[in-house]
Amino acid sequence: MPQKNNPNPLICQTTPWDNNSNPIWLASSVVLQRNIEKFKFPGKLDVDCKKQIIALISKKLLASEMLSKPALIKAEELDALEKEWLVEHFLCNHSYHQAGAGEAFIMDESGAFLASLNLFDHLHLQLVDHQGELENTWNRLVKIESALGKGLNYAFSPNFGFLTADPTLCGTALIVSVYLQLPGLIHTNQLDDILEKTVDESFLVTGVQGDPEEIFGDVIRIQNNYTLGITEENIISSLRSVVTKLIVEENNARKKIAKEESAEIKDRISRAYGILIHSYQIEAIEALNALSLLKLAADVHWLKGIDHQQLNQLFFNCRRAHLSCQSSEKISQEELPHKCAEMIHKSLKDVKLII
Amino acid sequence: MVKDLPEQNDRDEEDEKLADRPLECGECKKDISVLYTEIVGQNITRTCMCKECPELQRRLYGAPLHHLYSSEFENATSLACGNCGTTFNALHVGASLGCSTCYEVFSKVLLGELLSAKKIPPKIVSNKKSVPVHIGRTPGESMEMNPTLRLLALNEALNETIKTEDYEQAAWLRDQIKALTENPENPDATKK
Repeated sequence: MPQKNNPNPLICQTTPWDNNSNPIWLASSVVLQRNIEKFKFPGKLDVDCKKQIIALISKKLLASEMLSKPALIKAEELDALEKEWLVEHFLCNHSYHQAGAGEAFIMDESGAFLASLNLFDHLHLQLVDHQGELENTWNRLVKIESALGKGLNYAFSPNFGFLTADPTLCGTALIVSVYLQLPGLIHTNQLDDILEKTVDESFLVTGVQGDPEEIFGDVIRIQNNYTLGITEENIISSLRSVVTKLIVEENNARKKIAKEESAEIKDRISRAYGILIHSYQIEAIEALNALSLLKLAADVHWLKGIDHQQLNQLFFNCRRAHLSCQSSEKISQEELPHKCAEMIHKSLKDVKLII
Repeated sequence: MVKDLPEQNDRDEEDEKLADRPLECGECKKDISVLYTEIVGQNITRTCMCKECPELQRRLYGAPLHHLYSSEFENATSLACGNCGTTFNALHVGASLGCSTCYEVFSKVLLGELLSAKKIPPKIVSNKKSVPVHIGRTPGESMEMNPTLRLLALNEALNETIKTEDYEQAAWLRDQIKALTENPENPDATKK
């Protein structure tokens, strides 16, 4: 993978994720999709028109009082690693690798805001949050969106709401996702039953990257399925309700694990600990799965020397682009698994299992 | 390292076996669900297609496309957006819409597709007359959600835990409700 010496400082920031001490609720993300009236959607625009759109949107957005020191980053100026960092940091379910001329991003110092321009629609506005603050995050995003909308007219129809290139997203054009880490339910094989009981067809449940079959690190992503024919308040309050129920179930599962002291779970945790401490090279997925078991262990007091905040940081830091961006030297593709193992050894050096 | 090797090999073999298999329908952009085998004399041709593929219908029934749609969609197949040139066929094989005008041109077709893809809440669908009106904010409309909306969700969860006599969880939920009701003035939310 090609690598620049100095990655963009906005890319590679660790906020807001390095302050997250929640044992279950890993992250949430709120995305609003908008197109500008009169212009064709990005798929049908040539590069010159796309550049006009970027100029139009960025002029207003960069002056926004709601953002702290925002900056425009053109997609063609980013290397593959930096684009992958965006996907990891903002927990996107699509890749930015194809992004090129006529496409751009706007980020700010908080590390929680990302605007992507001309990638699917003219504008995707996204805020991520680490404190379970769905309502406030939405409030902030709506303020940014409506301030921007004062000078630009968004494509809108009374029937279909805000118009998006993908017709399944029109209406509110709002996607809210919550990422929950559920090792308790997963390792006691209860997740499927619980999901069937609590989650109806108003939600989609997938892994971090949007694939329902690929759940790694015991993290599930729950997002709203409907964008048309439902209000934004409804989307958020129903999601909040489902998430609260799942957290209650996960807490119950963890408490039961602590009480029953099942040999099998203890064995899984011990093996995960062994892999993390002793591997010479480790792939991100294996590391994430093992780290999730350590989180479970920390919660039921079978582990000391590390807190949830540090374990949550590791969730981001052991993925490929984060690992490479945070390293002072260049890492080749072949070295990555070894560097990942080294980084984990360092982070876990004071950790002791007390099983 | 040694343990990883056999797995790697397995995967490679599998990749090789599957190499001919296209990732999406040969005719459009949807997932494959049908393997269409045609035997004409000595020749066997195999094509992978999605189940709704217009091409599959054509081969099975030899019918032109618009026979597949109810009278509502008659003539729909020749539709194209005058503004951006997106055609009905492109849309039907999963392409994105090209512009706002597409929503007017294809309005009925889009509704049909959204309904069959279960992308509209059933409550709205049952009330067919109003299908499907966007509900909620319009451009320029700003709105603020009261963070205490979360109280509703917490209360709902609390009631359930009490029903199942899970008092420890109930206490945890009650603490959160207490924290919210004692300090509802969230500093972020009061800034207007």
